[in-house]
Amino acid sequence: MTEQEFTALYQKNLDKVFRFIYFKVDSPETAQDLTSQVFLKFWQNNQPVKNPQAFLFQTARNQVIDFYRQKDKTPVSLEELQEQGQEIPQPSFAVQIELSFELENLKKALRRIKNEYSEVIIWYYLDDLSVKEIAEILNKRENNVRVLLHRALETLKKEVNEKNSV
Amino acid sequence: MTEKELLEQLNQLKEVKPNQAWGSWLLSHILSQKSTVLTPQPQVKWAGFSFLKHYQKVLIPAFCVFLFVSSLALAQNSLPGNPFYSLKTLTQNVRLALAPQSEKPVVRLEIAQARLEDLKKTKDQEEKVASLTQTIKKDLNTIPQELKNIPQKQVALKTSQRVQEKTQNLTKLVEETNLKPAQKEELTNTVAETQNQVLALISETTEELNQCPNYLQNKLNDLQNYFVNQAQELTQWSAEDLTKVKMSLSEATNLVKAGNCLEAIEKIESINQLLQIHSLDTSSPQLEVQGVQVETSTSSTGE
Repeated sequence: MTEQEFTALYQKNLDKVFRFIYFKVDSPETAQDLTSQVFLKFWQNNQPVKNPQAFLFQTARNQVIDFYRQKDKTPVSLEELQEQGQEIPQPSFAVQIELSFELENLKKALRRIKNEYSEVIIWYYLDDLSVKEIAEILNKRENNVRVLLHRALETLKKEVNEKNSV
Repeated sequence: MTEKELLEQLNQLKEVKPNQAWGSWLLSHILSQKSTVLTPQPQVKWAGFSFLKHYQKVLIPAFCVFLFVSSLALAQNSLPGNPFYSLKTLTQNVRLALAPQSEKPVVRLEIAQARLEDLKKTKDQEEKVASLTQTIKKDLNTIPQELKNIPQKQVALKTSQRVQEKTQNLTKLVEETNLKPAQKEELTNTVAETQNQVLALISETTEELNQCPNYLQNKLNDLQNYFVNQAQELTQWSAEDLTKVKMSLSEATNLVKAGNCLEAIEKIESINQLLQIHSLDTSSPQLEVQGVQVETSTSSTGE
């Protein structure tokens, strides 16, 4: 791949990959590190890639899995961290937007639901990937992805409403 | 919250983006990674009388290298009390520092052996000899702990066996030194203690490796039961993945029976990875395997 081709791919996918990782790790700096790794791996990959976007997101998924495996962490909400007395990072210059209270709650809810649900929601509703593209990333049939999306949204809605009613 | 409201909020989350400056920096940083691999174009200039300057540029570094190499060569044959002996010690310490974790005990033992050889050839220099003797004692005492710190049990076992072989002639070496009787006795006792600890480690590790912890068998049983109970969901899996799972389960079972715990753990991990890809219900008995760390938390009886 030439530098121009890579630059085009990078500019098209940087926001999406960063956003995907950001909503899974909850630290902008970690999201930056892992995003860097994803694109670096793609650039240094010598094998031909049939579907660059799928490759990027599969690599991103693996980076997140490895991150939690190495750190022996499970995703925790900021509330849980605060209860444990941990310092919550202030809104960081790594991300260009500060979220409202409601959106922060939604972000926390995304991290509480199952990984597979949050992944498809982020890809479909935030990154605007099609069902076909998501199926290629996950190596599933399109029908399965549609079912997954439906369940994911229902679960997220339930999670948000339960938290709001507390 | 209605679905419509939820979708509106999700839409707003699309605004989350990375810092632009960072994005630009990352792109140039990534592209620069490959550019360092490219060979630079040679620059052709008119030589003129510049060969003289070039000669100087080569001579000075070459002379420095020659000096350094000569010093190292002199140092290799030096003995305690010689000014170059500290350089010899330094090169030995660098060799130890650069050795991988699994090799450190062997390298440390070889260095201790070399230092004992030096003591054999040294006469007088009481102060230097006493200091070197303490260093050798300290090294010998460190070896068993370094062996215990090797995470992979099979590697630890092989290294321990090599160390045990090499310690065989240490006692004889100590006898041949010019140390005072009390110093000899102290060093001989240290050698014996090290040998005992290494033997104990060999015995313990061999026993551990031959007995897989019971929980591995339990986890295998759980996985097998799980796949039986989830037969309906498994119809969505490809034939290839189903075959992989069956084979991995069967191989893992045989490995556990044969006491090959590490390979069994790898097989279970590959099943877990397949489960993760297919993202079945998380109440499935996925085993959090941490390789040999799991082993070190078990007792030697493999509970």
